[in-house]
Amino acid sequence: MKKTTRLFAALTASAVMAASLSGCGKSKENVDGNGPSRAEVVSQGGNEGKGDPGELNIYTWAEYVPQDVIDQFEDETGIRVNYTNFEANEEMLAKLETSKGGDYDIIIASDYIIKIAADEGLVKELDKEQLPNFKNIDPVFQNFFYDPENKYTVPYGPGIPLLVYDPSVVTCEITGYGSLWDPSLEDSLALMDSERVVMGMALKTMGESFNTEDPDVIRAAGDKLMSLAPNVRVLSQNQTQDYLLSGEVGAAFLFTSQVVLALSQNPQLQVVYPKEGLGFGVDAAFIPSQAPNSDNAHAFLNFILDGEIGAQVAQQTYYLCPNQASYEFLDEGFKQSLVISTDDIPNGEFIQDVGAEATALHEEIWTEFKSVLD
Amino acid sequence: MPLYLFTIFFVALPMLYLLALSFLTRAQTWGVVNEFTLDNYLRIADPVYLNTFKESFQMAILTTAGTLLIGYPFGYLMARLPGRAKSLMMLLVVIPFWTSALMRMYGWIIIFRSNGLLDKLLMGLGITDSPLKLLYSYPAVLVGMVYSLLPFMILSVYSSTDKMDWSLVEAARDLGATRGEAFFTVTVKLTLPGILSGVVLVFIPSMGLFFIADILGGGKVMLVGNLIQNQLQSGRDWPFAAALSVVLMIFTSMMIWIYRRASGVRDLEGLL
Repeated sequence: MKKTTRLFAALTASAVMAASLSGCGKSKENVDGNGPSRAEVVSQGGNEGKGDPGELNIYTWAEYVPQDVIDQFEDETGIRVNYTNFEANEEMLAKLETSKGGDYDIIIASDYIIKIAADEGLVKELDKEQLPNFKNIDPVFQNFFYDPENKYTVPYGPGIPLLVYDPSVVTCEITGYGSLWDPSLEDSLALMDSERVVMGMALKTMGESFNTEDPDVIRAAGDKLMSLAPNVRVLSQNQTQDYLLSGEVGAAFLFTSQVVLALSQNPQLQVVYPKEGLGFGVDAAFIPSQAPNSDNAHAFLNFILDGEIGAQVAQQTYYLCPNQASYEFLDEGFKQSLVISTDDIPNGEFIQDVGAEATALHEEIWTEFKSVLD
Repeated sequence: MPLYLFTIFFVALPMLYLLALSFLTRAQTWGVVNEFTLDNYLRIADPVYLNTFKESFQMAILTTAGTLLIGYPFGYLMARLPGRAKSLMMLLVVIPFWTSALMRMYGWIIIFRSNGLLDKLLMGLGITDSPLKLLYSYPAVLVGMVYSLLPFMILSVYSSTDKMDWSLVEAARDLGATRGEAFFTVTVKLTLPGILSGVVLVFIPSMGLFFIADILGGGKVMLVGNLIQNQLQSGRDWPFAAALSVVLMIFTSMMIWIYRRASGVRDLEGLL
């Protein structure tokens, strides 16, 4: 069901969104007018006879790997790429578990779910021998909780969500998450439709971690969240920047890619680094434990870690570029549009799994919050 | 025989799986532990979740009332049209099904958005002087629900009106009933099976159509369908999602049972 949502959303987006985007966005948070079908081949299969370079099954969000990168990879290696997309990290893990770590060769997903997949034994250790370009990775994007020894993953799309507002509409001063409670912002906020992110903002205003498991603290943050309800105009994961650009809202909490896109459409928008503390997230690529074409998967990872290709990826996904060999290939315009400096990375906090009880509590608060919203 | 196999594999087994799952415990981070519990059902009794059911129920009732209000006269008048006009009308009712339901929801966004078609019209006519915030609200979701489910009501009412024996209405008129009396005592009674099947066909899906709430409600309206989806994804609590689904199914089965009792009809008139 959700997958269809994405497809038709992509089909109609160009008709609907007045400020339609020209480029090729990333579809995790970004449904643009590109048309969904070009890489929508769903097929699996193992290596065919010797001499045939075989196949590579990529599984990630729709359009997250730029088509020109896939084309180039196919041309250079002769490997046929099958691109299958998922809508949510959890959907990916459920399928990966059903196939016992098989069926797919490359999966690009979010940090916290990779941690769970690795704990479930569904992730293969990388063969660094086959990855001469592994050294290109900027160490700032390594040694994270989901892969402390950099054995399993290659960072693909790192980002920091930020507050963005339109100074021609907003009358109060916005310095952090706490400013969003200002009464002058009534009915004019676009936030992410994600309990952990929105609850995370409330937790940060109280000086707490995103990942606290203390039920009393979570409840207190929940109480605080309820009083934010009058200011919330819309909750959205995809294309949230459009609400800001069309004037539907005055301020929004956006993923990095959305921040970049918003600013490219309206340079007057103001970006705020929330003073209470930054969030941080990484989408990374890994090879499933029983990947049918493991060698091809390594070839692909090595390919995207190439400096020039890495630049192509970053410039089309609008995320931070984790490849230091790519910096020289990035367009000047892109470098300037990149509002987040990698110096901020060490200050960012990941949103991680908090266990059954705390998760259930977050869900309950979120359900209550939504009933207050409508 | 193949039909039985089909039913067992694609209906009975998944249901049994769902039922079994609803009594298990969620694992700490991922998956399910084989530990029997009733907690999932007890949690539904939590006021927060009961409220979600209540809101869904309310939405379903309003949706059904809305479709009945528009769909009954529509279906009734359609059945009274002459042959060619009737088939043309039928075609017009069915045409929206040729495009995706989602596509049509985005159409409503164009109409309702700030400075959208409706805003421009109202401001052009001088009725309002600034853009309204019509989208991302409960009423917007209701409009979307009524709009998408209306054809089911129209077709149900149409099929029972079309089959009606009009000589009975004439007889009532001959015996002195006014037009209104004849309508309420004869026509409404004879088309009741159509009304009831329309009600069931609209009511049941409106409990679970989560994408309309997502798109037109701007993520702010949570119905049972949205809740189940949330528990499956970000909540990673499959047993609770299964329990919610079981309760929803019991609820809808009750609706069908009431329908059968009320109408005395064993199938859904004209459509199933």
